[in-house]
Amino acid sequence: MASARRVAVTGLGLVSPFGGDLADFFGRMLRGESAIRLYTREDDVLRPLSVPAVRCANFDADAALGRSLSYTMDRYSQLGTTAALSAWRDAGLPRTKDAPRNDWGVSWGTALGGTLTFESGYIEMLRNGRERVPPLSVVLGMSNAAASHISIQLGLGASSATYSVACASSAVAIGEALPKIRSGEATLMVVGGSEAPLSYGVVRAWEAMRILALGDEASAVRACRPFSSDRQGLVLGEGAGAMVLEDWDHAVRRGARIYAEFAGCGSTSDHDHLVRPNVDGQTRAMRMAIQDGGMTPDEVDYINAHGTATREGDPIEIAAIRGVFGSRSAAVAVSATKSMHGHMLGATGVVEAIITVLSLASQEAPPTAYLDDLDRECTGVRHITGGSLRGSLRAALSNSFAFGGSNTVLAFRAPH
Amino acid sequence: MNSAMKQDHLTVLSEFLHKRENIDPARVTPEASLEELRVDSLLLLELLFEFEDRLGVKMPQDIPRPKTVGDLLGIVDKVTAGNGV
Repeated sequence: MASARRVAVTGLGLVSPFGGDLADFFGRMLRGESAIRLYTREDDVLRPLSVPAVRCANFDADAALGRSLSYTMDRYSQLGTTAALSAWRDAGLPRTKDAPRNDWGVSWGTALGGTLTFESGYIEMLRNGRERVPPLSVVLGMSNAAASHISIQLGLGASSATYSVACASSAVAIGEALPKIRSGEATLMVVGGSEAPLSYGVVRAWEAMRILALGDEASAVRACRPFSSDRQGLVLGEGAGAMVLEDWDHAVRRGARIYAEFAGCGSTSDHDHLVRPNVDGQTRAMRMAIQDGGMTPDEVDYINAHGTATREGDPIEIAAIRGVFGSRSAAVAVSATKSMHGHMLGATGVVEAIITVLSLASQEAPPTAYLDDLDRECTGVRHITGGSLRGSLRAALSNSFAFGGSNTVLAFRAPH
Repeated sequence: MNSAMKQDHLTVLSEFLHKRENIDPARVTPEASLEELRVDSLLLLELLFEFEDRLGVKMPQDIPRPKTVGDLLGIVDKVTAGNGV
């Protein structure tokens, strides 16, 4: 249930696959621009990779963080720390070691952590016959590395935890920060997630599930088509996003810009199947988020869907939305922005939350890209297609439904 | 151990510190304090690994924590000369 303490979103930051800043990223989302490209990677021994993917190709870790810091990080930490520092700046917070911040913490999400470090270590040992790996391997590879680096760089003394819940990791991380601020345990939390999963092994593992969309140079950009009749599957990506969540009164007192209110969260388990999602589990999560947010379904004007473009998943999510909103479903705007930024696994939840928050702040929501031919199993909601939707957006949900059946829905309210 | 080899080890060290932490090689003298050169416990591990790699030796598990560049080079010298530390 909603408590007296409200939670404000006062800072946003991400590493954009387009290479630009946050405003540039959101502008492209609104215009329906996809960052998906054909990713090819040669290999001496094995069949080379060639798969549609989203990469932060312009990201320069040394420039963003300084070499002596970036050297101590796996790419997943480099992306994550950069996003967190960006959100911190965006929140108008100073980088100072003076003020003690023992009630400011970190809540981070990642599905695979330092998986690139593991892969290069295995290649060195198993293929190149080396007996030892570099001594920083443990601290690069450990899944809490990003959260630790963020705490260290920003001097944050409250809890610094990392959540690993597959596709819902950063959504869970965001949700778990909510009760900490509501209860007064924390005044401010830097939340988000990061993922650098495009190792050889990880891509091949996903290919083996036969749910990755295929493509070539020309078709890659539109490979991820949620809710389309001819959708072919999901597109993997790397990325990072961060938000600053803050006690509302604290934010107002320091004159912070408030993007939106983080109103509520609902987390459930399907307890059904390792990969096939479940309507009931998703419905319960959305209802729970709405109730926790102190709102009614009638107030929700936009849903950023999980919408991965798998054959199986998309209709189940639409059915769940219709279960929650009933006769009003056709008026609820829905879009699946993975059509443009791909599925960044542990980082997806926060990037979609950022899009949802910016939609409320600007009163303009992005479309599902390339949705020309709506699957009749996905009808019944107001799909945003073509361009953006401008209108009165009072409250919005961001859905994350993970393998293993973990569902987390975040509820935001436009600031007032 | 002749002075040419000692110079070699010092060069390995200063090259690594320059590459890694952008330390001016002129500061890397035998008297220099490792702490002042920003060599913390993690960087020391990397240095030992670098010496192992470059010189084809194995640094022993328990070595006294060197305080100066000279201390560290002394350890490396002993290992490459085949003596125990």
